Amino acid sequence: MRMPPFNLHNPSTLEDALTMASELESSGEEFDWISGGTDLIPNYKWHLNTKRNVISLSGIEELHELGTNKIGAMVTLQELAESSSIHPLISEAAGKVASIMVRRSATLGGNICLDTRCFWYNQTEQWRESIDWCHKCDCGTGADCRVIPNQNELCVATYQADMAPVLMCLEAVIHLSSPRGSRSMPINEFFKLDGMTKNVLEIGEIVTHVTLPEDHSEWKGDYQKLRQRESWDFPEAGVAVTWKMGANGPSELRVATTGLESVPSLHIEEASRALENWNGQESVSSLSESIRKSVKPVLNTWFPPSYRRKMVKVLTRRACKGILEDQS
Amino acid sequence: MSTSDSSSAAEGDSDSSESNEMVGYRQQPGKLPFSKPGSGGKNRFSEPTDQSMIPESKGGELAQPWGSHRHDGLVSGQVIGKPTSLVDSNWKVTGQAKYGDDIRLPGEIIGRILRSPHHYARVLSIDVSKAMELPGVLGIATGDDAPGKFGVLPVTKDEHAMAVEKVRHVGDLVACVAAVDEPTAREACRLIEVEYEILDSIHDIKMGLEDSENPIHDRGKYHIGESNVQKRVFQQFGNVSEMKENSIASHESNWTFTGVNHGFTEPHAVVAHWDPSGRLTLYTPQQVPHYLHRALADVLEVPMHQINVYRTFVGGGFGGKSDPFPHEMCAAILARKTGRPVRINFDREEVFWVNRGRHPSKISMSLHADSDGRLCGIETDALIDGGAFASFGHVTTYYNGVLHTAPYEIGAFHYTGARVWTNKPASGAMRGHGAVNSRCAVETGIDDLSESLGVDPIDFRLANLLPPHSATITGFRVTSIGMRECLERVKQESGWKEKFRKMPLGKGIGIGCGFFISGSGLPIHWDPNKFPHATVHLKIDMDGGVTVHTGAADIGQGSDTVVAQSVAEVLGLPLDMIRVRSRESDTSPVDLGSYSSRVTFMNANAAISAAMEIRGDLLKATSEITGASTESLVIGDRRIFNKADPAVGVSYLEALHKAQEDRGALVSSGSYRTPPMGRAHKGAAAGLAPAYSFSAYVAEVDVDIETGQTKVERVWAAHDCGKALNPLAVEGQIIGSCHMGMGQVLSEEMKYGRTGHLINPDLLDYKIPTVHEMPLVTPIIVESNDPEGPFGAKEAGEGPLLPILPAVVNAVYDAIGVRVDELPITPDRLYKEIEKKCRKEGIDDPLDLSPPTLDYSPLQDILEERAILHSERDIERRHDNDPPPYHNGALFGLDPEVPGDEQDSRWAAVVIPPEGYLDNPGLAGSAWKHVERRHREGQK
Repeated sequence: MRMPPFNLHNPSTLEDALTMASELESSGEEFDWISGGTDLIPNYKWHLNTKRNVISLSGIEELHELGTNKIGAMVTLQELAESSSIHPLISEAAGKVASIMVRRSATLGGNICLDTRCFWYNQTEQWRESIDWCHKCDCGTGADCRVIPNQNELCVATYQADMAPVLMCLEAVIHLSSPRGSRSMPINEFFKLDGMTKNVLEIGEIVTHVTLPEDHSEWKGDYQKLRQRESWDFPEAGVAVTWKMGANGPSELRVATTGLESVPSLHIEEASRALENWNGQESVSSLSESIRKSVKPVLNTWFPPSYRRKMVKVLTRRACKGILEDQS
Repeated sequence: MSTSDSSSAAEGDSDSSESNEMVGYRQQPGKLPFSKPGSGGKNRFSEPTDQSMIPESKGGELAQPWGSHRHDGLVSGQVIGKPTSLVDSNWKVTGQAKYGDDIRLPGEIIGRILRSPHHYARVLSIDVSKAMELPGVLGIATGDDAPGKFGVLPVTKDEHAMAVEKVRHVGDLVACVAAVDEPTAREACRLIEVEYEILDSIHDIKMGLEDSENPIHDRGKYHIGESNVQKRVFQQFGNVSEMKENSIASHESNWTFTGVNHGFTEPHAVVAHWDPSGRLTLYTPQQVPHYLHRALADVLEVPMHQINVYRTFVGGGFGGKSDPFPHEMCAAILARKTGRPVRINFDREEVFWVNRGRHPSKISMSLHADSDGRLCGIETDALIDGGAFASFGHVTTYYNGVLHTAPYEIGAFHYTGARVWTNKPASGAMRGHGAVNSRCAVETGIDDLSESLGVDPIDFRLANLLPPHSATITGFRVTSIGMRECLERVKQESGWKEKFRKMPLGKGIGIGCGFFISGSGLPIHWDPNKFPHATVHLKIDMDGGVTVHTGAADIGQGSDTVVAQSVAEVLGLPLDMIRVRSRESDTSPVDLGSYSSRVTFMNANAAISAAMEIRGDLLKATSEITGASTESLVIGDRRIFNKADPAVGVSYLEALHKAQEDRGALVSSGSYRTPPMGRAHKGAAAGLAPAYSFSAYVAEVDVDIETGQTKVERVWAAHDCGKALNPLAVEGQIIGSCHMGMGQVLSEEMKYGRTGHLINPDLLDYKIPTVHEMPLVTPIIVESNDPEGPFGAKEAGEGPLLPILPAVVNAVYDAIGVRVDELPITPDRLYKEIEKKCRKEGIDDPLDLSPPTLDYSPLQDILEERAILHSERDIERRHDNDPPPYHNGALFGLDPEVPGDEQDSRWAAVVIPPEGYLDNPGLAGSAWKHVERRHREGQK
């Protein structure tokens, strides 16, 4: 399995990287960013939307910074899993990603920007040719979506990364840079509902780091992941829950999910409804049910969507276990 | 300098020769002195014989609870029975082993295969002109270049190197390209223009039974109806007509098994090279080089002696590298066209296209038990999905039935099997060939039946076992049987009595057994009739090292090690004095290949017989030197001596040199052929083996009842391999089998999507269990000392896989009370069953379910008593050198010395459907509704 050849660019500063990107862009050349490469390289080997230029971010020192409230985009998932200074929920979620070998290369930024996945898409070129291609990589054919045929609008490939729901629940802010300047936003505003668009990143723009609010260490939380095997597998469903405890139960509560749709979701309404008349176990049950109802997975990953939905309920309940324990 | 050095060395030698001079080594006048040869090994001194390795039948201390063996006298205490690292392990762990894709020849070019994007289509035209014009393209071949058919079984040759007329599944070969590098070859494939006429494809296994406008293959006058039925089997033995009325409990299940792939580490790779003499050398990681050799000769139309099949290191086979493959033909064709060595190596996806994995199957299983707790009937109907080609399927169709006629004594056996072609990658032979799925159905059925009878399933089994040296209901000659010991050991070591039906919800324990052939009685190519199945040549020159020439294919199972061990043991040599040459057909005697668990049994027997010949030469030489009679001599570590007076003897090299006088290197040849066996009915040969292995596993599981996720926590795995020639390798096979079987039972599945495409042809989405899923396995080796096996050994490579599936399925039932009938038990499938059970019991929360319990019926005591009696019977029979015949049926009151059908007309064997059967046939049985073309022609 060979990748098509590409030019690899190795900038050593952020400025150089952005300049390279804008130069390539203005000369009409296509490019991809590469950080750990554990997502991009397999996709390139499958000849999925390959570009002639790849800009590596690994030489840019400032992207590797890891502090209590700030995580550079190039910090590896294994660093996060092993870190004692970072919020334990982040370590826990990072430690559940893929396998240790993948985690040693894979980065936080790469995980956040993970390409969406689909049985009809993550295949070799020969295979995709045999289904006459698909919307997400149509090779100029204008092919239809194979998951939900006869709708040529939306790509429903699934977002299967573990870090986003946890960062959403900790209200992380994501910081982006491009030749046009920098911008920041709450991470749940970073994602855009479409399996191809995925997020707000514009051409030439990269994620530089995420920051966590000052009070993030006061939040407790849990992350539950559904997968066939305890290693390697992408989340078939993932639920993160964070809370702050008050006198009679949680005073604040956040729930976010991943692996179910083309974007991860922060379930603000469902969480606040559960908080309104908090009643321990019962509230957890109704919260779990409301989360289940709010997600709409499709048939394009290992487990069937009906099962994934049902499990969202179980995962949510399990992720809330700590609340009930704290309460008693 | 050099002159003075050599002279001083000569002086030194001359000094020592005076004191060491001995018969046969006297210095001749004018010649340099010739010192005493020493022991021959790295260590100059022979080790004293380890008496704990010498069988008690020969006066040693090795206990033989199963009696003596014909090879006892050949035991020198060297290596047999000692945990031994595989002889090629250093090559592998240091990365120096050359696998298929490691072969690099000067001037090699890269071959790439153009594959069909359609499930089923007629190839109307192929235009390669644009591709040929691409710079760097050196040759292109299509089906026209080699229209000859081939296939691993001579009766079902239905494959071509590349499409001739039709493509039969997505990924089927259409053309191939040789170019200077891979990107060029890939690009050239894109430039080949193929015009297809798309045909209606078949994906549903049941559709394969129907008549079709365009059957996937045409068998000419042997074609079954106009259907896609490739093979059908009908078998009826024992008292089928009365099994139901005699029963007090019955089990019925309808199983669905998805297809699984071997998942070996090394994707297929091949290098073909036509040398300047015009001969072809084909480098390939093959399990069965000999059948490839034959197929190459047919397809390339060159005599076999012009082809050298070179088996590289094999990165796992498990049955997936045992067919002659089209890509091997392609490499040879391209190399011949271009005059350059051509290398083709596969992407993982291509491995799934070639497949030959376990058949997707629909198996319905009925078991009947009578009031004495006897298994008075087994009815099996197995419809198996062959995919696009025959491969080993003819045999698989039989194996799905006949391989569950033991280890239990049964009152009746009714089997209908059919294999159909569909437009999927071909199924074939995979570890536990044809036995795995139906075994799972039988063993879970027995669990269910035991529950209905109110008895412990282990005790039920112990009271229904065939004794050693008996014949099964279909007439298989079974020799050694360690089944009872396997069951007793796992029962004891797992703490079965304290756990079974007594653990809390979610925790469970289950039992499963296995029975498998140790080599097939009839080879695939059985003509000429008396051709041996395995042959080994030995050559020993004056250095004392032994060169072993064998064609047995080491695929990681350790066949090189076993053959080296066998020779070392007989000749009393350390393992490092044995060098195995097993790679090339030019130098290796024919071996039929690494399939049907035949290699240790057959090849080690051949090696022993070759070594015995040399041993005879060495004993004779020693006798001539020492004057002791050959009968009084024994072989120890590199020394041959008088057993009664060990001081009288010579070193191995001394004896060897004496034996080489006037002759030079000693050479010998040994071979093995199975004895005549079996009965005469159609299909009687399928499943015949010179010996059979037995196994029993207990698995303990933890089921997350809210998610349906099953974790196997512990496995106690007892396997009867006759004699563990290398206990380390046997334990490895047992643990590896657990892993592989766990994959099939829990997570592995070739998934076909809505459009019929295989949607997970990669190792991320084809879920092989990881180290995290692996339970703690306690391997338990049972040694039943097979009379015909080498030093008593039987197979340990495939049989150990069988029991893990039903053991896990039964443990899941014990944990949560859900009986599944579909594999793999992925969490989503199990959760569905849990939901069903909750609905049935009117429970909302699965945590409120209760696990099954067991109340013993009076039958339990009856079975326990019978098990004790049978145990005594078995021990008596295994110590009897000439036990009286015992035919299946004795438990049901028949005369044990005569086959059932010869004494009771109700037990007649039937191999074609009797009148009336087709009124209400089983699913696979309905294949008999079709009439073969040759019989229809007469009617028209």
